[in-house]
Amino acid sequence: MRRLSAKGFLALLLVAAMAVSVAGCSTGSSSGKSDNGPIKIGFLGAKTGNVAIYGLNGLKGLHMAIDEINAAGGVLGRQIQLLEEDDAGQKDQATNITTKYVTADHVAAIIGDPTTGITRVAGQIANSHETVIMSFGSTGTGVVEIGPYVFRDTLLDAIAGPAMVDYAISKKGWKNFALVTSKNNDFSVSLSSIFRDAIKAKGGNIVVEESIQDGDTDFSGQVTNIKAKSPDVIVFSGYYTEGGLIMKEVRKQGLNNVVMIGGDGLQGADFWKLGGEATEGSISYAGFSSEQASGKTADFIKKFHDKYNEDPELFAAQAYDAIYIIASAMKAANSADPKVYRDKLAQTKNYEGVSGTITFRENREPLKSPVYLLQVSGAKDPASAKFTLLDKVPVK
Amino acid sequence: MAQFLQQMVNGLALGSIYALIALGYTMVYGIIALINFAYGEIYMFGAFTGLFLVLTWKANLYLAIFGAMAFTTVLGLVVERVAYRPLRRSRNAGRLSALISAIGASIFLSTLMVLLHGPATTGFPTLFQNRNFVLGGASISLYQILIIGVSALLMVGLDLFVRYTKTGRAMRALSQDADAAALMGVNTDLMIAITFAIGSALAGAAGVLAGIYFNAVQPYMGLMAGLKAFAAAVLGGIGSIPGAVVGGLLIGLAEIMGVAAKLSDWKDAFAFAILILVLLVKPSGLLGRSIIKKV
Repeated sequence: MRRLSAKGFLALLLVAAMAVSVAGCSTGSSSGKSDNGPIKIGFLGAKTGNVAIYGLNGLKGLHMAIDEINAAGGVLGRQIQLLEEDDAGQKDQATNITTKYVTADHVAAIIGDPTTGITRVAGQIANSHETVIMSFGSTGTGVVEIGPYVFRDTLLDAIAGPAMVDYAISKKGWKNFALVTSKNNDFSVSLSSIFRDAIKAKGGNIVVEESIQDGDTDFSGQVTNIKAKSPDVIVFSGYYTEGGLIMKEVRKQGLNNVVMIGGDGLQGADFWKLGGEATEGSISYAGFSSEQASGKTADFIKKFHDKYNEDPELFAAQAYDAIYIIASAMKAANSADPKVYRDKLAQTKNYEGVSGTITFRENREPLKSPVYLLQVSGAKDPASAKFTLLDKVPVK
Repeated sequence: MAQFLQQMVNGLALGSIYALIALGYTMVYGIIALINFAYGEIYMFGAFTGLFLVLTWKANLYLAIFGAMAFTTVLGLVVERVAYRPLRRSRNAGRLSALISAIGASIFLSTLMVLLHGPATTGFPTLFQNRNFVLGGASISLYQILIIGVSALLMVGLDLFVRYTKTGRAMRALSQDADAAALMGVNTDLMIAITFAIGSALAGAAGVLAGIYFNAVQPYMGLMAGLKAFAAAVLGGIGSIPGAVVGGLLIGLAEIMGVAAKLSDWKDAFAFAILILVLLVKPSGLLGRSIIKKV
């Protein structure tokens, strides 16, 4: 009984603390969000550290979009002001920044974080303060489930995986699949179950399933098992390091006409640096490619190139789209208050973005089309090898 | 059947690498009853030295192996001099201190390589065109022939050295009774240093071979390989040179046969399950002699 009452007291204390903080926020926010000054948007992402490349590329897209919007008169007659803080890819810093955005700056929306892990943390804070947060990079699970104010405009594995399998079966005529999973990699385990379901649903056969671990270097046993079943293609759901080494072993054992297909985990130069020629023709998917662009995407690429003297990549394109989607929801709702425009945002349907067409489904998960299929070419010379666009697959 | 043979070949190649590293463990243990846990890192430095020689000086296969062996010999001597010898001399330091010092040396060496190279995996440039030979339904690659061949050559060489040279005889004497050997005029410090040097050279060769075979070199590669080789040494009977070879091959085969039997998830567990079993059932190992404590 003693323990129970202590617990009860703690719970009461927590409830009280929450009530105070919620009250504090709601009085503050009304003044910040509905006045006639600039509309504040907070950027959340890393500008330094290991994942800085995602944040910095996203910022390029954001700056471009905001300059365009402001030059065209802004949103609802108000200019957009971007607040930038660097979370360095650290959850504790992201927590501080998000809290500052929602309680001190009273931003109308937060754009970020590009990673799933930090979006999960920041999403909790933004959602509890009824501020819209839109990630331009997270693809893992447990993001939009946080609550009604959490969004993302990325290509999800659950959409891209089946699209890839469909392409393999209907366009390439591959029927017999070898499925390889890295068992100590969450991403690989969940992507494998997407691939497995898709292969079965679309009439393919999984002739052999093998498992490896991230960090393994000897795959001779698994490859011998695979070779014995002579599959048409190897599906690998893990990362580029193991992917490259597996393909090297596949060729070493004389299995010569089989390529690897997999998720965006294969997209790293180490894939062909480690696998060499063996990776030629391997296929992976992405939410964006700057090749063979048309219409709005072609315009975007040209303007981006003029401004930064480089081709935009995935995160720049998705960050660019994120701010435009929010701006158009604000216009439709005639308000920059997230509590008001959130409903319009959730109803976004067939929005023509530069990274594809975006629809938010009922659970706010994005449905994006097309899926870009990329193929390794020039693997013979790892210094100049790259992923080139193989096809754009529309998603229904 | 062909697939079974194929898996045997895969297992033998993997086992040869474990055997080469296990030799170093077993030799050092045989002489001074110390588990040199920095061994895996010496193997890792061997792989990096080979890689460096190939990348910067365009060294061929043999030069890479010999260069790596030379470098790891020196490295092994330095580790012995810095991390172990002072403890051996000190009256207060027991076996446990030496073991802790070994673990410290291991962590130091792997983090040093992270600083020098970064944590990423690097591939080995192609040194020769691979070919596959068909042997009773199983195909054996030139890489596998290289691994098994070079390992066998080094192991036979070591056996002959220990058996027929004066130094080898001194080493054996030392392992039987260090004090008596010293009284007979054996320079124990020198012999211990030579043992470290030989073991390190073998680990260096194993590192280059593994780098070429797996096409992957990274700073933490020594940890798991070292632990498995240690399990191999215990399985064969720690202190016994033929035991290390047999143990290494058996661990390699067990791992690959596990994968062949669709137990890939348990791959890393095999070596250690065997280690525990051996310690429970026959602590002296397959070919080890049981140690009778003299009072």
